[in-house]
Amino acid sequence: MISMRNVSKTYGADKPALYDVNVEIEQGEFVFLVGHSGSGKSTFIRLLQRELLPSEGSIVVAGQDLTRMKNWKVPFLRRNIGCVFQDFKLLPNKTTYENVAFALEVIGRSKHVIRTQVPEVLRLVGLEEKINSYPDELSGGEQQRVSIARAFVNRPPLLLADEPTGNLDPATSLGIMSLFSRINKTGTTVLVATHDREMVDSMRKRVIALENGRVIRDQDRGVYGYGD
Amino acid sequence: MSSVTRIAGCTAMAINVGYFVRESVQSFRRNWVMSLGAVITIYLSLLIVGASVGSSMVVGQVVRSVEEKVSIRIFLKDGAAPADVDALNKALVGDARVKDVKYTSKEEALEELKKTTLADSPEIVDQLEVNPLPASLDVNLKKPQDVNAVVETIKANPGFLKVADRPDNPEKSLKYGQQIVNQLFAFTSALRVIGAVFIIMLAVISLIFINNTIRLAIYARRKEIGIMRLVGASNWFIRTPFLLEGMLQSLLGAFLALLTLGSVQWFLMPKLKETISFLPVSLSAGASVQISLILILSGVIIGLAGSAVALRRYLKV
Repeated sequence: MISMRNVSKTYGADKPALYDVNVEIEQGEFVFLVGHSGSGKSTFIRLLQRELLPSEGSIVVAGQDLTRMKNWKVPFLRRNIGCVFQDFKLLPNKTTYENVAFALEVIGRSKHVIRTQVPEVLRLVGLEEKINSYPDELSGGEQQRVSIARAFVNRPPLLLADEPTGNLDPATSLGIMSLFSRINKTGTTVLVATHDREMVDSMRKRVIALENGRVIRDQDRGVYGYGD
Repeated sequence: MSSVTRIAGCTAMAINVGYFVRESVQSFRRNWVMSLGAVITIYLSLLIVGASVGSSMVVGQVVRSVEEKVSIRIFLKDGAAPADVDALNKALVGDARVKDVKYTSKEEALEELKKTTLADSPEIVDQLEVNPLPASLDVNLKKPQDVNAVVETIKANPGFLKVADRPDNPEKSLKYGQQIVNQLFAFTSALRVIGAVFIIMLAVISLIFINNTIRLAIYARRKEIGIMRLVGASNWFIRTPFLLEGMLQSLLGAFLALLTLGSVQWFLMPKLKETISFLPVSLSAGASVQISLILILSGVIIGLAGSAVALRRYLKV
């Protein structure tokens, strides 16, 4: 699903944000990407979305070489990648339903598809009761569920999450993580960047650890690590 | 693969015409303060551009009518042989710069004097024992600017001296407002250049204003654009509602500007005509249509170009 070979990314003249990263992720895997702030987690995620191009090396996502991809094709790549962020990125003037439907509308899905898929995915994330609420009427955990629903409504084969529980309390975080786990069981590859130690340790999934832009550990059924 | 996705993209476009229209009207309503700002800016800019184009058209027409009065009058001596006059007439008509030549006899000249300069006391003319006025050839030109060149040609024509009123001083046999002509042309061409520069400056200023206003409107919605890019909306899909919105605003601004200009013309023109009745102040229907077309077209172009330029920043992949 994801193949990164000798990938480096340098911003300006600074020391590289990522250095010589080699990672293979198979379809259907659940992977944690861990590391301190500034270790290169966000750069890792943004490279996979092709928000950024690597300074060196090659990245293949879903069989497509991102370094050689034409600009006009990038939107079609992103339709195959669901994204979840720490700050939810919901539109405040749209309801739960409209926020999720928006993601289908703007990629040209028909009304019929929208009317069947949106309620279904909202049921999956457990928000069928809050369908007409606006984001400011929802709790942080609920807002994150809306954003996960939006990321998953198009059934992408790959789901990326950048610190999805960064703004949430531990109990709520647990709920979000079990949601990711459920989504993973449908066959979707899930990559979660986090520094939530408890979460990583309790889930026992594959863990890729970054430090100063290098992969220092890649371990199946791993733990957060780092002695601190 | 690529052609398949492209076709899929195209059908999605076709299906979503309704979405685009709905989205641009909706955002016009939702962000109506921003939209109002853009409409007012476009309205004022186009109003000023339209007013200057209109007034420069009026001025241009006045200038043309003044210029058209420039003609060359050749005074003929009494008893000039008709054959010689005819020869000079033919030579003039044959000149490519000459529009037409009119012969005025002594009697006609007197008659004209009676009707114009002495209209208040025509009896003076009747008291004259002999007709003191010479017959003349009036030469109208295609381009008034050619007047000096044509005068030189006439002077060089040997037939001219045979029929001239005062062969001893040929200069006196020609009347064409020697000094005034040159000054008039210097003035009118300066007027045209100043008008053109003024209008170009205004157009540039309004383009900058509109680009800025649209950029603010897009900035206010950058979050929405960010999410659209995130979920894989194509750039054209993101762009189209903004372009439509920009065009809608421009059209509205142009329409309001036209309405204002129309009513100004309706109320002001008759008064202006009254005040300066000696000059032919008017705006033909053709000119009004021309101004309307200029305003609407430049409005649409400014709206589209302004939105497109402003959008480019937010659509980097």
